[in-house]
Amino acid sequence: MIQLKLCMVGAFAVGKSSLVQRYVQSIFSEKYHTTVGVKIDKKDVALGAAKVRLMIWDLAGEDCFSALRPTFMRGAAGYLLVADGTRAHTLDAALDLSRQIEAAQGPLPFALVLNKEDLLDEWQIVTPHIDALERRGVRLFRCSAKSGAGVQAMFEHFALGSLKGRAS
Amino acid sequence: MTSRRSERAALPLPEGPDLGLVLGGLDMVVLKRELDDTFLLLTEPTAWFGEMLGTVRAAGARVSLRGASDYLDYFLFDAAEFWLRGAPGRVRSGPWLEAESGGERHALEAQALLSKNESFLILEHLGEAYDAQVRVLQSARDHLLKEEALEQEVLRRTQSIRLREEEIAMRLLAAAAARDGETGSHVRRIGLYAAAIGEALGWKTSRIADLRVAAPMHDVGKIGIPDAILRKPGALTEAEFRIMQDHTVIGARMLGNSDIPLLCMAREIALSHHEKWDGRGYPQHLVGEQIPIAARIVAIVDVYDAMVHRRVYKPPIPEPEVLASMERGAGRDFDPALFDVFLGILPTIRAIRDSYLDEAV
Repeated sequence: MIQLKLCMVGAFAVGKSSLVQRYVQSIFSEKYHTTVGVKIDKKDVALGAAKVRLMIWDLAGEDCFSALRPTFMRGAAGYLLVADGTRAHTLDAALDLSRQIEAAQGPLPFALVLNKEDLLDEWQIVTPHIDALERRGVRLFRCSAKSGAGVQAMFEHFALGSLKGRAS
Repeated sequence: MTSRRSERAALPLPEGPDLGLVLGGLDMVVLKRELDDTFLLLTEPTAWFGEMLGTVRAAGARVSLRGASDYLDYFLFDAAEFWLRGAPGRVRSGPWLEAESGGERHALEAQALLSKNESFLILEHLGEAYDAQVRVLQSARDHLLKEEALEQEVLRRTQSIRLREEEIAMRLLAAAAARDGETGSHVRRIGLYAAAIGEALGWKTSRIADLRVAAPMHDVGKIGIPDAILRKPGALTEAEFRIMQDHTVIGARMLGNSDIPLLCMAREIALSHHEKWDGRGYPQHLVGEQIPIAARIVAIVDVYDAMVHRRVYKPPIPEPEVLASMERGAGRDFDPALFDVFLGILPTIRAIRDSYLDEAV
């Protein structure tokens, strides 16, 4: 079985752990539980013809209390940069983290995940900004850990892309 | 998450039996590195360590840690580098949550250290200390989230008040401009064009918002010009033109004596929007950057909008002709650098023009 390490990166309270929990255990909690340190979850999936074990590293949210260690990315097939659509500054924080990772580890595949699609009316990350990122070649997923919409597709499309990238 | 302090026998260590006793009382295991992945277990194993290895070993056993824990595998790479360097001190893994087969997770932390040229690995169950850290961070982040939500609410309400103020200002300005034959759409367009230039210049959001409302006030002083001059169909005499020029000073007087940034900007614009870059303008004959930048911006967009639209005294002029004429005025009538910025955002300017068409009179 192929093992793929994916890291969840982003500001605090954007829903990284909730996305993992929704994907791995199909559950969601309304209450915000902060993550301290690193939590690793595994899920075995079939991606095309390949059987893959996804090792999902859920990293503590970035803020003034905790900083990301770029070395966590070592051996990763890529990382998912999570932002909360209802909090515009979390996108800036995510893009800043991506720059930090690239500076420390070199280019690594990543996708931007805009979470909380169930609260679309409250979104502060606006379409022109999203379009501009897509034009720059940023791979983007919109999903909701709460409703589950787009979560499985996000993890598995990204993993499949990473797998193909590794094979080529 | 709970700490599991198992009753463990202390292993006699080279430093003396007391140290083994102390270590036995802590929820940690100490290992000495022998080969790459092989370690000598110096303390009795804890329950969580046994779970991690999958087999129960006793102190003195040789164990391989490779594959025991995904996070530990990752850390052992850093630890190996540290031991290889041979520098004194220690390197810590940072906390991680290790899943047990029953689903419970233990908060662990690893430390690699070097003592008397021997490599040691300490694995510690953080237990209560971790729970306490989580509580502190949870509380701090909950507080930050509440602050963020409050800030958002303040911002939302401020925007709502500003929109209401803008709407009132636009309606009053449109009414005043109608005396001069100007339309409400012209008033709105001037504000939006000017704001687009402010945005292209990288101004702060609040300054752009002020410009969007202040720019349409540029001709507010015309309220003090007699109808006979303001609405005269033919050319003005020299004396009439001098009176007409007073609209800049009248407007500045109307908007003056205020500490509100929006009104301060509006006063500058009203007073100086007829100044020319080369000093031929009025009322103060300012030159170049002596003219406030907001007034220099309005000078450009006011001329553009007046030329491309129909007026009672002239048909609309095709945009290429307007731009060619204004190009000749750059460095003479207009700030050339700002005119370049204006040209750079022409698509936005055109979109504003097309969105706010003059209403039928």
